[in-house]
Amino acid sequence: MPAEVCVEWECCWAKNEIAPGECPYIAEGEEELYSTIKRRVVEKCLECPRFRTDLLRLREQGHPLADVLPFIADEFVDQKARLQSMGSFLTSKTREIRFLHELNLVLQTSLDLDEILSVAMTAITAGKGFGMNRAFLLMADKERQFLRGYLGVGPRNYDEACQIWREIGQNDLTLREMARNFQKTKLASEKIKFHDILEQLSIPLANHKHIFSRTLRERKAVLVRDAFHNPEVDPELAGLLGVDSFLIMPLISRNRRVGLILADNCITHKPITTHDIQLMETFAFPVAFALERASLYERLHEEVEKLTAANAKLKEQQELIVKMEKMALVGRITSSIAHSIRNPLMIIGGFARSLLKTIAESDRNRQYLESIVREAKQLEDVLEEVLSYADSLYPAMDTWDINQLVTGVFDKFRERLVQKEISCVLAPAAALPMVFIDYKQVAFCFRTILNTIMETPGVDRIGLTTWLAGDDVVIEIRDNGTAPPREYGEEPGAPASVAQELGRNLGLPLCRAIIEKYGNPFVIEALPDRGTKYTIRLPIRKEGDSNGADTGRG
Amino acid sequence: MARILVVDDEESIRLLYGEELAEEGHEVATAASAAEAVELLAGDAYDLVVLDIKLKNESGLDLLQQIVKERHEMPVILCTAYSCYKDDFSTWLADGYVVKSSDLTELKDEIKRVLARKSR
Repeated sequence: MPAEVCVEWECCWAKNEIAPGECPYIAEGEEELYSTIKRRVVEKCLECPRFRTDLLRLREQGHPLADVLPFIADEFVDQKARLQSMGSFLTSKTREIRFLHELNLVLQTSLDLDEILSVAMTAITAGKGFGMNRAFLLMADKERQFLRGYLGVGPRNYDEACQIWREIGQNDLTLREMARNFQKTKLASEKIKFHDILEQLSIPLANHKHIFSRTLRERKAVLVRDAFHNPEVDPELAGLLGVDSFLIMPLISRNRRVGLILADNCITHKPITTHDIQLMETFAFPVAFALERASLYERLHEEVEKLTAANAKLKEQQELIVKMEKMALVGRITSSIAHSIRNPLMIIGGFARSLLKTIAESDRNRQYLESIVREAKQLEDVLEEVLSYADSLYPAMDTWDINQLVTGVFDKFRERLVQKEISCVLAPAAALPMVFIDYKQVAFCFRTILNTIMETPGVDRIGLTTWLAGDDVVIEIRDNGTAPPREYGEEPGAPASVAQELGRNLGLPLCRAIIEKYGNPFVIEALPDRGTKYTIRLPIRKEGDSNGADTGRG
Repeated sequence: MARILVVDDEESIRLLYGEELAEEGHEVATAASAAEAVELLAGDAYDLVVLDIKLKNESGLDLLQQIVKERHEMPVILCTAYSCYKDDFSTWLADGYVVKSSDLTELKDEIKRVLARKSR
């Protein structure tokens, strides 16, 4: 190369190889440039002031390229600067795309409302995301009547901000990791931290003049500037947020107003740019969609739970029906057998009685006939009780007015009570709730109690009262006879066993078996001076509890 | 004393009722079926019918309806092994209802009551 031979140039552009330190623009790590002239010229010499000096010298020497070379060098530098600028623009866009991709991935796959909220709010406030200082999420309620402050994220003051940024700086976490950390450690506390602001941010959606409602209606982000003097902004809202400028981002999904996001830079007061708004708008739709989807999923989950519970209840009901059908069958069989026995029994007893009338007192056969009459009568009594119980086994579960039931039973006994000169005082409580019972079974119990009372010596007065006690209706029947029924007086705590009681008076043990199936004891107590008290408690049927007393039925 | 028609498909019961009621001074005729009862009622005058509800292959309640329809002045006492029919409104057409028992006191008392009411 002739230039290298004839002239001592200031710049190293003419040397194939240079010594370290010869070019002051070659930095540490670029040592390779010492021996690669082409790269050195392109990367260093063309921008080197020494090279410009050398170009001037070329012009002085009258070199034919001396006038052209500076244009080429300038154009090269200019193009290089442009390329670098585009490169950094592309890098920043790539970062944004990566961030949005990561964000969308979470938003598209998650059905957990808390996870979505955590990701969205972290994305808005994290430096790696939109880098806003603070954000509030407001959500429309199920009925779309109110917009309610739901969650706030960010520092409340400068010290807290420094602490948060320090913590973030120490951990190089991805957006998802940051969101997960937030959900695990901060979500609950952030809700409480901004509780006062969130409460005041809530507005009725019907308030069309409010800037929030307007933003939702117009479906476009609003950047509020000069908030304290802006006629569009309620001064209370500006005072509450305490910032001059903030962004309102509507969240709309399929024409449904999901909510909105308020974001500001309350600590750094960095201006919110058009670019920030555009980015946030790109992000708002998937957030709105994800929130809508998660809340729908939550509702669906609730409905599935309700359906599962209804199914379980239905199954219980089916089992109960089967059980009741079996009981009804038992009742029918018992009834059929009992009736088959009754006719022969009455014929035996009846003829024995007829014979007894014709036989002399001294006849030795008389005691046999008396025995037949007595035993036949006892068997008839047992049969009557079995038949009465069998009849009560036919299912008739329904809601009943207990006062009507009890007074109805008393009415049927009225004639007999008058004959026996027993007076009745009925005092049923007014407006008692309905009870869910088997009418026949409970009516059997009251009939049995009245029969028992009428057979008790010394009774000339019966009192009946009903009242409400918690979830039960209580029915109390008192008499003034001499003693409580023997089988109860002797063994008040003995378990009911129908089989064991056969052959004795079945009535009261059967009553106990029936009442205990409603989950309450059947209590018979001797009164301190004279008489007996019979207490029955029957459950009130709860709303939606179709089981009612069925649970205890055996 | 009264002329009573006992309708029951059980021969022994007819016999028992016949003897017991005759002892009370009544004149008793018996029928084993609804058709026999209708025939007897058409031929003779009776003061009272004692009627079983479950006759062989027949319902005493149908006969009761027929009697009430054709002879509405004729008192009928239902005498049955089934106490549950008391709640059946079709038995309310009868003047009395007695559950069968070896002790015929209740039936006899009921007959007295119904006849006394009829004579008033």
